[in-house]
Amino acid sequence: MLRRSLTAIHITLFSAFATLFVPAPDAAAKGAPPKEKATETSSAELAALDKALKGDEDSVVGALQSIDDGDKVAAAPLVAKLLGRGGTEKVLEAAMKTAQKLKVESLSVAIAPYTRHRSDEVRRQATRALLKTKGPIAVTTLEQALRSPDAVVRGTAASGLGELHAHAALPELFLAFDKGVPEAAAALGQLCVGAECDQFIGRTGRVGFDVMQTGFDQILFRPPSEVSDDAKIKLVGKLRELGTDEVGKYLSDVAERWPKDGSKRVKQVIDSAAHSVGGGVKQ
Amino acid sequence: MKNPFFAPAALVAFAALVTGCGAGSMKTSAFASDWQSDNGKSIAAVRAHLASVPVPTGRGMALGITKTGLIAVALDGSSHWSYSGVVDSRPSIAGNVVVSTSKGHLFALDAATGRELWQLPIADKHLRGAGDDGRTTVASLGSDAGGGGIVVAVNRSGAVVGKWAPTVDVGIPAVLSDIVFAPWGNQYVSALSLTTGDEAGRLLARTVVSRATAIGGSIYFGENTMLRFDDAISQAATTGGHEVKLAERELPGKPAWYPTGTRVLPPEAGAPDAIRFYARPAEVGDKLVLDSQRFAATYFRIIVGFNEGDGALRWVRTLPAEVIGGDAAAGGFAFCDVNGDVWLTAARSGGDAGHVSLGSKIEGCVVDGGDFKIAGGSDTGTLAEQITHAIELGDEQMATVQRFLLRELGTNDDPTITKTLLDLACNARTQPDVLAEARSLLASRRTGIEYMIDALKQHYDFLSDVLRAPPVGPLADALSAVGEKSAAPLLAAHLNDPSDTPDDVKRAAHALLTLATASEFDDVRTFFSLYRATADDDALVAAVIDAAKILVHLGGADGVEVIERAVNDPLTEPVVKQAISSLIPAKTSDVPHAATRAMSRR
Repeated sequence: MLRRSLTAIHITLFSAFATLFVPAPDAAAKGAPPKEKATETSSAELAALDKALKGDEDSVVGALQSIDDGDKVAAAPLVAKLLGRGGTEKVLEAAMKTAQKLKVESLSVAIAPYTRHRSDEVRRQATRALLKTKGPIAVTTLEQALRSPDAVVRGTAASGLGELHAHAALPELFLAFDKGVPEAAAALGQLCVGAECDQFIGRTGRVGFDVMQTGFDQILFRPPSEVSDDAKIKLVGKLRELGTDEVGKYLSDVAERWPKDGSKRVKQVIDSAAHSVGGGVKQ
Repeated sequence: MKNPFFAPAALVAFAALVTGCGAGSMKTSAFASDWQSDNGKSIAAVRAHLASVPVPTGRGMALGITKTGLIAVALDGSSHWSYSGVVDSRPSIAGNVVVSTSKGHLFALDAATGRELWQLPIADKHLRGAGDDGRTTVASLGSDAGGGGIVVAVNRSGAVVGKWAPTVDVGIPAVLSDIVFAPWGNQYVSALSLTTGDEAGRLLARTVVSRATAIGGSIYFGENTMLRFDDAISQAATTGGHEVKLAERELPGKPAWYPTGTRVLPPEAGAPDAIRFYARPAEVGDKLVLDSQRFAATYFRIIVGFNEGDGALRWVRTLPAEVIGGDAAAGGFAFCDVNGDVWLTAARSGGDAGHVSLGSKIEGCVVDGGDFKIAGGSDTGTLAEQITHAIELGDEQMATVQRFLLRELGTNDDPTITKTLLDLACNARTQPDVLAEARSLLASRRTGIEYMIDALKQHYDFLSDVLRAPPVGPLADALSAVGEKSAAPLLAAHLNDPSDTPDDVKRAAHALLTLATASEFDDVRTFFSLYRATADDDALVAAVIDAAKILVHLGGADGVEVIERAVNDPLTEPVVKQAISSLIPAKTSDVPHAATRAMSRR
């Protein structure tokens, strides 16, 4: 079923958030990816940070800044606990920035509820943070965020689902795209496979070219293992049929950006189409 | 029909009208201001004089006013005619004639054919209204600004057979045999003799009288109450005679049964023509009542039918275009809209009883039910369905009457009414006034719980075109009032939905005080955590405080710990902190009891 149960998603996210209230200091750190830059943080330092994060607004923001600056991944559980407790808008925004910097997947569960906060800024920061913390919770939350009343959140969620390679979200992305979420175009271009790409390309003419081209770009520059040369050539052929100035300019631009080790066959077709449409390929 | 023969008699009449002397001019006792009440004696004598004279009835017709003339159709659809000539006042349909003024002339047309019967000059006067008894037409004329009125009686050949130029404003007259009934001063009807020009009798009424009109074979006097000219007329000043009035209803736009008869109405319809009451007096047994025991009120496109005695709403009919005229016929009503369609409506049920068309768009409309009978009427569904249909009209102009109908709807316990109200409250196109009324009514509903629960399952959802959050606050009020525990998880989920208004969230949290179970603990805690330090609105603050009470009540030691931490956290909003600090029990070991005490303090 295309429309997932909102209640079911809600239960998943908020139940997960509730686990933040159960003392589990190492839980968040478990999702941390190995980071070259990450610095060792002593337990004394963590204790000091924990104390500072329970202080007043300046103290909390200062501690978050310190975690940021030191890229202290080990402090991720403390950030998760802070988000679980809640804070002022200033604190929450700082915490979201820290989470983005730490890129620790287990922070996603603490961030998720904030994508539905009443404060625009908190909500948007939280959605952006999920793009960095990633993971299944982030994907589920971003899918849910496509349904948000906030257009900025919807757009960020659409972009994020593309970035996070959330292929399962394709039906929702198509729906969002058809309902005027332009950011979904790039995501669709990033995620589509075979007939799905045709489905996206089929929207050409119904949606402004400036929006469509963000998706075309993704399709054309994806590796051959994801999108075959034939599919790319088919897309270029479709664009050539449009024959407008903006298509010509776009194809010329693609030709210029085409990677040196990219498919020669596809490049040839792009050059030919650009010439034919009148975009003037620079050699 | 233009430039008709101007009869010599009319020329004589013109001289009379201008000079105030000569043929038809009457210097009389009429309209005397020093008249003393005769306790109904003189009007009783007039009644006795006319007792055996039949009052003619018209055949039932609608008359449309266009920029170029008049168009007419019989209510039975049997005839249709048009008249070329711009009218400058609202025409009257009087018995079997149509009377109006145009470019300084008063003229009469045969109502059946549109043929001009006569025309006479009237200088700068315009028609207030006219009556006719089949032989003589009587017209009240005045200037736009009021005053300077004349009453003129004209026979079928165009001869002026009576004329008065009173200093008072005379309303719409009637004529029967040799007597002209001229209402004036809001309380008098002078019975003027066409033979002598004198006042043969005078009626002093207890109610406002600005028109005399023939309905169903009787003559009536009144405006908002209609007093029948019958054998009881002598008692009009004392016991009131035989009169009929409409049950009092406070309706949008304050409709009137009839407009005041002493004003010249413009040919083009205005808002008062779209907002009117319609009813027809009728005799049942020996009682004067309303025909079919119904009266109707129009409000542009929406027509509502009321019961005679208690004014209870009985039916609602929604028409495709704005009603600008109408009349009550026997058994029903005929409503004329701006498109020139005349909609026949059964009085008892409001059912569609057919329609006739004038054939083009019109600027004004006059309808006379005459002796036309409206029968049948299609089934238009239940009253609730009719109201729902009217309310769903996406017409901003209808919002006032829609609110009225909603209130009427709210008095009905039928569970499907709850669904109707929910549909309105959840529809993003519902106008703000109607939305507010629907929400208010929902809060006091106690039936249709299953519909409420279904509505609460909805959340704003851009992808699914759910573009308005359900009315969470009113539903919370209603469901907590009936103790519906199954609503708790749904209400708890709404706490964390930013699409719901702070007021809705506040009411949801308040309802959860009585409905929440341990299953809602996590949702409530999440809400508390997210907003204890960010609530920037009184409603949200109240919701956070209620959430704290729920946590203490449901969470035992865990709940108390959350609240304790919040009280000690410098980030918690001071106003929240102050309110929740009293929820913390004195000793940890006393938690369960203390929590219970905290709840009981609410």
